[in-house]
Amino acid sequence: MSSDFSECGAALLPQEDRPQELARLLAHPFIWRAGHAARTQAWPTGFPALDEGLPGGGWPRSGLIEILSSRFGMGELALLMPVLATLTCRAGARWCAWMAPPLQPFAPALEACGIALERMLIVRGAPHARRSNHKELWAFEQALGSGACDIAFAWARQPPPRQIRRLHLAAQRGGTLGVLFRPSWAAREASPAVLRVTVEPLAGGARVRLLKSQGGARGAIELKWASQAALAGHP
Amino acid sequence: MRVRRSADLFAPPLPTRTPPAAPLKGIAPPSASPAAAPAELWLGVQVAAGAKQTGPDSPPALRHLATLAQRFTPRLSLEPPDGLLLEVKGSLHLFGGVDGIRREMARECARCGLRGTLALAPTPLAALTAARADRSLLVLDPAQLIGQLSPLPLAALRWPQKLLERLASIGVRTIGQALRLPRAGFAQRFGAAQLGELDRLTGRVSDPRERFEVRTRFRRRRELPCELENHAALLEALGPLLTALEQFLESRQCGVLELECRLWHRGCPPSRCALRLAAPLADARRLAELIGERLGTLALPEPVRACELRSGLPVPRVPSSAGLWQPGEHGGLSEAHSPRLIERLRARLGSDVVKGLAVLEDHRPEAAWCVREPGACSEVAHCRPLEGGLGSPASRPGAPRNAARPRRPLWLLPLPRRLTERDGLPRYRGGLRLLGEPERIETGWWDGAEVARDYYIALDTHGRRLWLFRERHPPHRWFLHGVFG
Repeated sequence: MSSDFSECGAALLPQEDRPQELARLLAHPFIWRAGHAARTQAWPTGFPALDEGLPGGGWPRSGLIEILSSRFGMGELALLMPVLATLTCRAGARWCAWMAPPLQPFAPALEACGIALERMLIVRGAPHARRSNHKELWAFEQALGSGACDIAFAWARQPPPRQIRRLHLAAQRGGTLGVLFRPSWAAREASPAVLRVTVEPLAGGARVRLLKSQGGARGAIELKWASQAALAGHP
Repeated sequence: MRVRRSADLFAPPLPTRTPPAAPLKGIAPPSASPAAAPAELWLGVQVAAGAKQTGPDSPPALRHLATLAQRFTPRLSLEPPDGLLLEVKGSLHLFGGVDGIRREMARECARCGLRGTLALAPTPLAALTAARADRSLLVLDPAQLIGQLSPLPLAALRWPQKLLERLASIGVRTIGQALRLPRAGFAQRFGAAQLGELDRLTGRVSDPRERFEVRTRFRRRRELPCELENHAALLEALGPLLTALEQFLESRQCGVLELECRLWHRGCPPSRCALRLAAPLADARRLAELIGERLGTLALPEPVRACELRSGLPVPRVPSSAGLWQPGEHGGLSEAHSPRLIERLRARLGSDVVKGLAVLEDHRPEAAWCVREPGACSEVAHCRPLEGGLGSPASRPGAPRNAARPRRPLWLLPLPRRLTERDGLPRYRGGLRLLGEPERIETGWWDGAEVARDYYIALDTHGRRLWLFRERHPPHRWFLHGVFG
């Protein structure tokens, strides 16, 4: 072990450029690189193009991600339908929690996407939603941290960054994928979420832009909605 | 002759099959049955109920009597509207024999303000029938049962009046006369159910009875040594009550679904905090956790002097074995863990806030779904075969599951929203472009919520897909009904 480290020290001396030496050094199991993300466990997104761009090849299994869109209903939920179908239909599926969804999730459409409805847990928002934002965040944190959910959705207007950090830690504790839907102007703010993407609609699909993905690719990815997902707007 | 008798002796009595070898034999079992001591001794009580209650539920006075009579025996069953049956064989020696137990039971009846007729017989139905015939029968020997029952009128069996009249028309008015009729003919002419009842009466077949059990609720109050205002201290003060509740429930293998905690103040009405649980629960620690959540949101008007715990009806609970892994670990439990989350959310946010989803078989979008208890299976969707229509391709045999299913949005508006129009075309924050062919939904005339709509998919200026409909009938208004997420 000690000889290994002394070797490292020798290699780091800026004496001369030795690329093969550097490659050997980087192959050392004690060195982790930021771009090397194979260690994150992920759920396949159902879109091969997106899987390639994401670290670990899919949505992370635990932690908080943010999906930003300029308006409600730009395809941000359709993006998650394939993973929802795999998560709810597998053996030992946990809950899929919806924290105060802005509209009613339409059960026949969800079922048409192949989602097992008995795993859905809808937490209705307070009727006077403006004030009780903290209640929804509390419920979201409970769902994330309890370990009883595979995935949990929340629509937050303006959560403080400290809260987001809390949510992220809760999601890691509970082994839950937390999805926070936010307006696209939130892209200007920093966020502790592990993954941030924006969604824009395209004809029969969507363009997903990766804003922040730890160790994943950058840039835009164009997706086509699966035809059977009952989402294709074009005949 | 010898052959037949030996067959009668050893053949087990079969309830409904009529023995073809003995067409002339009566319903009564052979009198040569072994004269052993009866395995059971039933005490039938018929109370003279003042008000005739014929409802399906037993009257409260009878339930009260049954509760009191539980001190004689645990095997007790209610025979509504006015009967009570007790199996007293095992407790005779505790109450001074037959006379003693009759005396005690009569006293209990008197205490309830009822006049009871008591009869003892080896079979429950015989005891009940004798009591209902107003005879204080005492039959200890099964061999004497039929002889003692014979003079009783058939009406005591409470058969339908029409049947009794038919039996009377052939001269059968007493139980003895009925027992002398041939089995096959009796079953054919008066019904196998009546034959079975006569068999139970004479002990030819066994007669299991549903046991009456009092379901007591837990209710206990504790005066606090000093007035408390702090929520944490209150929760601690509730601890002994919760432990008592746990013991109460554990001893009955039950759990509670509803629990109310009342906090008494000096000068104003008690504060209440009610708890509704998703699954029967008996664990004091988890109950304390949930009450703690609830107390946290409760505003106390005054310091608390006493607290009281009242449970709902205890519900049978199947204790589950604990998982090998801790919840946080890999492979940790999820199913058993999940009610905790629901209960916690309900305790804090309200009991009707957490719901599950299910699909209903209906073409109208607003009627095609419903909320239900989380985790409940949506069995409705696939069991009822409907004629193939727009919304039910799943029930169409042979159709692939998703092939013919029309497009549905992921989000539905709670109420359709009226859209403005320009030149006959709808507008929603700008112009809308209609895509594809409309889908007609015209149904629901049978329940008053008839719809006749043409549904369109439209693209708005931001590229969102919306689900609109236009009324088929004038004034042909446009509405927004859903958003494709």
